[in-house]
Amino acid sequence: MTTLILESTAWPAAAEPVPPRPAVAFRALRETALLISRGLRTIARVPMRLSDVTLQPIMFTLLFLYVFGSAIHIPGMRYQDYLLPGMIAQSIAFGVIGSGVATATDFASGVVDRFTSMPITRLAVITAQIAGQMIEQIIGMVIVAGVGLALGWRPHLSVTGLAQLIGVVLLGLFAFTTFGVLMGMLLDSPDAVQGIGFAIVFPLAFLGGTFVPIAGMSLVPRVIGEYNPLSAIVAAVRHLTQGTTTTGSWPLEHPVPAAVLYCVVLIAVCLPLALRAFARRTR
Amino acid sequence: MPMDVSTGLAIQTHQLTKTYGDLTAVDAVDLEVPAGSVVSVLGPNGAGKTTLVRMLTTLLRPTSGTAYVFGHDVRADPDAVRSVISLTGQFAALEENLTARENLMLAARLRGYRRAAAKRVVSGLIDRFELGEFAGRVVKSVSGGQRRRVDLAAGLVVPPRLLVLDEPTTGLDPRSRQVIWSTVRDLVAAGITVLLTTQYLDEADALADHIVLVDHGRTVASGTPAELKQRIGEQRVDVIAADTDGFRALLATLGGSFAVTGAPERRTVSVPAPRAAEDLAHITSAVRGTGVAVDEIALRRPTLDDVFLALTGSVPAGSAVPESAPVAARPADPQPARR
Repeated sequence: MTTLILESTAWPAAAEPVPPRPAVAFRALRETALLISRGLRTIARVPMRLSDVTLQPIMFTLLFLYVFGSAIHIPGMRYQDYLLPGMIAQSIAFGVIGSGVATATDFASGVVDRFTSMPITRLAVITAQIAGQMIEQIIGMVIVAGVGLALGWRPHLSVTGLAQLIGVVLLGLFAFTTFGVLMGMLLDSPDAVQGIGFAIVFPLAFLGGTFVPIAGMSLVPRVIGEYNPLSAIVAAVRHLTQGTTTTGSWPLEHPVPAAVLYCVVLIAVCLPLALRAFARRTR
Repeated sequence: MPMDVSTGLAIQTHQLTKTYGDLTAVDAVDLEVPAGSVVSVLGPNGAGKTTLVRMLTTLLRPTSGTAYVFGHDVRADPDAVRSVISLTGQFAALEENLTARENLMLAARLRGYRRAAAKRVVSGLIDRFELGEFAGRVVKSVSGGQRRRVDLAAGLVVPPRLLVLDEPTTGLDPRSRQVIWSTVRDLVAAGITVLLTTQYLDEADALADHIVLVDHGRTVASGTPAELKQRIGEQRVDVIAADTDGFRALLATLGGSFAVTGAPERRTVSVPAPRAAEDLAHITSAVRGTGVAVDEIALRRPTLDDVFLALTGSVPAGSAVPESAPVAARPADPQPARR
């Protein structure tokens, strides 16, 4: 341990003894929690920061429910019950943009330099980034679900269904947030992340069976939709909340295992790459 | 046995090099910074200053060569280096939507203080850096100079042995620069070693015991401010000719009796003027004697360009364009800031 060479008379702040450093695992948890709280306090101060995970999906919901919805007929169910599960699942994918932009901003602004030049566990910086973004997404999702309920969405949830739903949503958020964080580190500017993020997520969302059934699409979008990872997540959330079944492809017919599988693959690819990119960017 | 015990060096680098493909950002730099001193790395944009700082603060791995901070190898023992340094970068690394006090609290908590102790540390910093006036305000609403001071304070939660300041006053107004300067002087008085990068000669002059000039990633000269000034002359007189022919005539005539340098693109002949007003009078009468029409004759302090011109014979890479040209017209910074 380093001993301080300063006289306390010259340095009033030094009168406070420097705390001893606890075990690495404990430190990592404490530092992650502190860094997450930094992001969350910001939301409390500037609630508009949540607009991308609240206003945007709410606008989509209103648009489809009251503008396009009249032209969309889903056999056997009300459009609210079709759309809202899709909106919730879709916001998982939109998390890519939010987490990517936040990550790119932190790198560009020197915040990451400050933290990584401090004697704190480096892993805390990236775990806090991922966890903080997931929390933001969850807050947004709860708000969107609340708005959906107010607009007449009626989910039918069993206890096991709810448990599975939470599992799928958390796994999906982890996968897409990690992807976003990776993208934020690879692309330098927040603007680039925003642009490329939209280019990736928009087709996923519109070919994901979020707004209209995949079965009614023409050949090319239908095939893409049937194997689109987001389609499986949308179908899984819809299955778990409304008990619907979808046909067309193995992932759509087995949405819950398919969603889990897609997410695990995405995590298996993106997490090591993100950790590697982080190690490179910060060393 | 830590190296600083035997050498008394805060920083010691040997042939420190960083390359990005074909570009050599830092080229075989040997640097020795004695503990307790203030060393300024002075150079134009893209000279490799930030890359050098990032290697010394463990943010970037050197391509080759060695670097020790208080005897700790930046490569082998980065965590030990991080526990004795503090870095304040070119951009204030603060959360804009939190208050100055909240940012300082976060820094203190991250250094391991429990809430109550962190509060005491933070109020100590607020007093010491006179941040009280705006401590409760959201960072994005305070001035650039105030932000820098908060950023500096955030890096001093635990007093470091080495404080690294990367262009601490770039973009600040003159008054804020003075405040930062006096803060840095206080820290030095408290025994902290400071490594400071800057593009401003006056800043290096005002703060540093020792100046290292860098360009294209290389050390081009080093010495105390007094030594360097002796070599470049205290002040200069610039004579700006009304046209190019006049410039040539002045360069030829004045060159006969003074050690002039010429900048053709600015039609400017620059003459060292160690005796200030007296030299100005001499030069003015010499110019009048030539009968050449001039736009301006002015006494001025030496600039970074003069230093480079005097010590290396050429103007640094980033400054090939006249002062009056818009900044955007300068060649793009060839140094990848972070990667």
